[in-house]
Amino acid sequence: MKYAMLVAWREFAESTKAKGFWISIFLMPTMLFFSIQAPIWLEQKATPVRYYVLVDQSKNLAPAIESAMEKNYQRRVLEALGDYARKYCASQLGSPPGANPLGLDGDGEANPRSVESFISKGGKDAAVERLKPHLRPDAPAFQSPRRPYQVVGLPSDISSDSDLSTLADSLKPYLRGERQLEYNGQPITLSAAVLIPSEIENFIVRPQTNHASRITHHETPATNPPRPSTVNPRSIQYWSINASDPRLRDDIEHAINSEIRQREYAAQGLDVAAIRQVEQTYASFASLNPKKEKGKEAVSAADAVRQWAPSGFVYLLWLVIFVIVQMLLSNTIEEKSNRIIEVLLSSVTPGELMMGKLFGIAAIGLTMISAWMLAVFGILSWKAGGASVLAGQMLGVLKTSDLIPLFSIYFLLGYLMYAGFILSIGSVCNTIKEAQSYMSVLTIVMMVPLLTMTFIPKDPNGGLARLLSWIPLYTPFTMMNRAAADPPMFDLIGTLVLLLATTAIALWMSGKVFRIGILRTGQPPKVVEMIRWALRRES
Amino acid sequence: MSAALELSNVTKFYGSFKAVDDVSFSLQPGSICGFLGPNGAGKTTTIRIILDILKPSSGSVMLLGHSSALEVRHRIGYLPEEKGLYKKMKAWSVVAYFATLKGLDRKTAKQRAYELLDRYGLKDFANKPTDALSKGMGQKVQLLASIAHDPEFVILDEPFSGLDPVNQQVMEEIIRDMAKRNRTVIFSTHVMQHAERLCDRVILMAKGKKIFDGTIPEAKRVLPHRVRIETQDDIAPMRNFAEVLSIRPVEKNGETHRNGSAQWELEFRENADPQAILQLCFDHKIRLRSFNQSEPTLHDVFVRLVGPEAKEASFR
Repeated sequence: MKYAMLVAWREFAESTKAKGFWISIFLMPTMLFFSIQAPIWLEQKATPVRYYVLVDQSKNLAPAIESAMEKNYQRRVLEALGDYARKYCASQLGSPPGANPLGLDGDGEANPRSVESFISKGGKDAAVERLKPHLRPDAPAFQSPRRPYQVVGLPSDISSDSDLSTLADSLKPYLRGERQLEYNGQPITLSAAVLIPSEIENFIVRPQTNHASRITHHETPATNPPRPSTVNPRSIQYWSINASDPRLRDDIEHAINSEIRQREYAAQGLDVAAIRQVEQTYASFASLNPKKEKGKEAVSAADAVRQWAPSGFVYLLWLVIFVIVQMLLSNTIEEKSNRIIEVLLSSVTPGELMMGKLFGIAAIGLTMISAWMLAVFGILSWKAGGASVLAGQMLGVLKTSDLIPLFSIYFLLGYLMYAGFILSIGSVCNTIKEAQSYMSVLTIVMMVPLLTMTFIPKDPNGGLARLLSWIPLYTPFTMMNRAAADPPMFDLIGTLVLLLATTAIALWMSGKVFRIGILRTGQPPKVVEMIRWALRRES
Repeated sequence: MSAALELSNVTKFYGSFKAVDDVSFSLQPGSICGFLGPNGAGKTTTIRIILDILKPSSGSVMLLGHSSALEVRHRIGYLPEEKGLYKKMKAWSVVAYFATLKGLDRKTAKQRAYELLDRYGLKDFANKPTDALSKGMGQKVQLLASIAHDPEFVILDEPFSGLDPVNQQVMEEIIRDMAKRNRTVIFSTHVMQHAERLCDRVILMAKGKKIFDGTIPEAKRVLPHRVRIETQDDIAPMRNFAEVLSIRPVEKNGETHRNGSAQWELEFRENADPQAILQLCFDHKIRLRSFNQSEPTLHDVFVRLVGPEAKEASFR
């Protein structure tokens, strides 16, 4: 055992000196950090303000659009205030006392009523005043989010009275980015133009009429020649080269249509105020889970995290096992191709050598996992204080569930089982190239859990999940995946026993292949031959 | 004194191929033995069997009084034929690692490693990764790694290959030093001069069999004695004497005759006296321009014994 430990120590010490090891240690937390931080940054900085022109020749809709867009913006301000309150109000979790004065509902979402009352109560400045008594002393001043969209006037050389096709043609260079507009003394690029024809009132589509009129979305010919289809003169025109982000278009279309409907209600003699009231009615909806303790059955966002957290662990498990068995393979082949193996075998038995390698690489894996876990806890705790609700929920799930102990068990058994195969392969191959043909098969086999990872949580105790659980090669990954769904005890224990047995057999057989293969030179043997070695009685 | 190594009727099959065929020999402590033979003769397999890396199909090995080398692994040093080191490890750390595998504690092993690297001129390279070393330096590091624990029994497979003449000399000194301290050394080589200079004993293998086992003088006696003569006279009368086994012309630049005279090589029986050959020449009025009696070299013995004309004939 002493010698196996010496071998293990060398494997460990040398692998930790490799750059790749440190890159993989740091890569995962970096990725995690950016996946949490990126949405925050995107929100704050990355999306540029998008400028658009609005030409309303009907002289009828523009104010309604502008007020709807303003209301949309106020909604963002309100939600940002909610986040701000959550982050800086003196009491931490639950419903912050400062959030309720904002009139937000449980998840921090703004509903139409709360937006209107926010605006009527004096908007941002008044709300900030109301929050002040609840804020922690170190809270920074509230920063309003930027406006995502900003309406700008037409360039001075374009008249809003010219007919729409002329107008569109003269705007095209601006929309294509060939010319720039001026706004507040800054040159800006126009992202969209909304052109409303003067006769739009006559083109409104009603269920009983056949007039087809709606907003059509035109792609400004940036590189392609214009499409032969003519512009429908009865539609509102939305010009933009950005076809992938429909939000501005949707917002405007929604604003116009709700304004038109308001007028329809009035035209048909309906009580607009009553309709507005009706529109703001809703039934509240609760998701409940019968498995949860009585009185706490409500399904929260944390429960969704709990449901999906195992997937993260499956991916981690897969990644670590995949990375370290590759290390095991290349270290074994290095010793074999350098013939260091002979010197080693004059000092230690093949069994000790194999054990040493297994332990050494396992220690590498455990180091990686521990480093990652620490980083995950660190990053989540750092970000959990309000900036990221998700981080707090993830942290809670990690602390309260048995995911980590399960992960440790499945890591060790899964690693040892795959290491058995890898050592057999490594012992018979002289170069990485020779090993590739075996490895490609193993890699394909190992891909399955990655593919099933996303849909097992949707039906964690279903037929496919159970089937895969009982295939020892996939037991660690699948059972990890099902961990949040309380799989039947029979599955949990049964698959664990089967996995243990398979791991033991894999190691025992690979020990025999290793002893024969490790000193062989020349062409690697066929798989059938390796199996024959594995089954051969000791001589 | 009991033998340091004793092989009895060792045979090894790889499938149906007989790699080692009924080989027996023993080595006394403190001796240096050359283990010779062409490629594929079964030397490396025999060495692996001695080290208990491979199990013999039949026969037995006793090494330092034990039936398995692993029982006495701390007392054995081994340098394999194909040299390789962990590329990213530092020179001292490789030497120290192998020494710890041989039972030295980590601290002593490190100390020994620096000491040896210093003594054999590698002080400046002790902290370099081994892939920064030249081939010769790497090989020295590997040798040092195999003897850092001061083993009683050392097996060196082709220790001289890849070394420059100066370092070959260093290697010879290391081997002699070890023998002086009553260490037993067995090494394989293709370069007969090393064996000739160093060995008390040579064992020659071909096609899995031991075909010679003895001292260097004994090896040289395997070949018939030879003389080389140069004359312009007819040497046909010499063929009539029983002592002369063969006469063949010595060619130089494709010609046998030069300035009217020719060189001949005569082989004669082991116990015949070269003086008698000289006497015969005088008796038959063969005027000699030169008469050269030379001892066969180990190289000649090797070529003769394993060469096609010698087949697997046993000379003893």
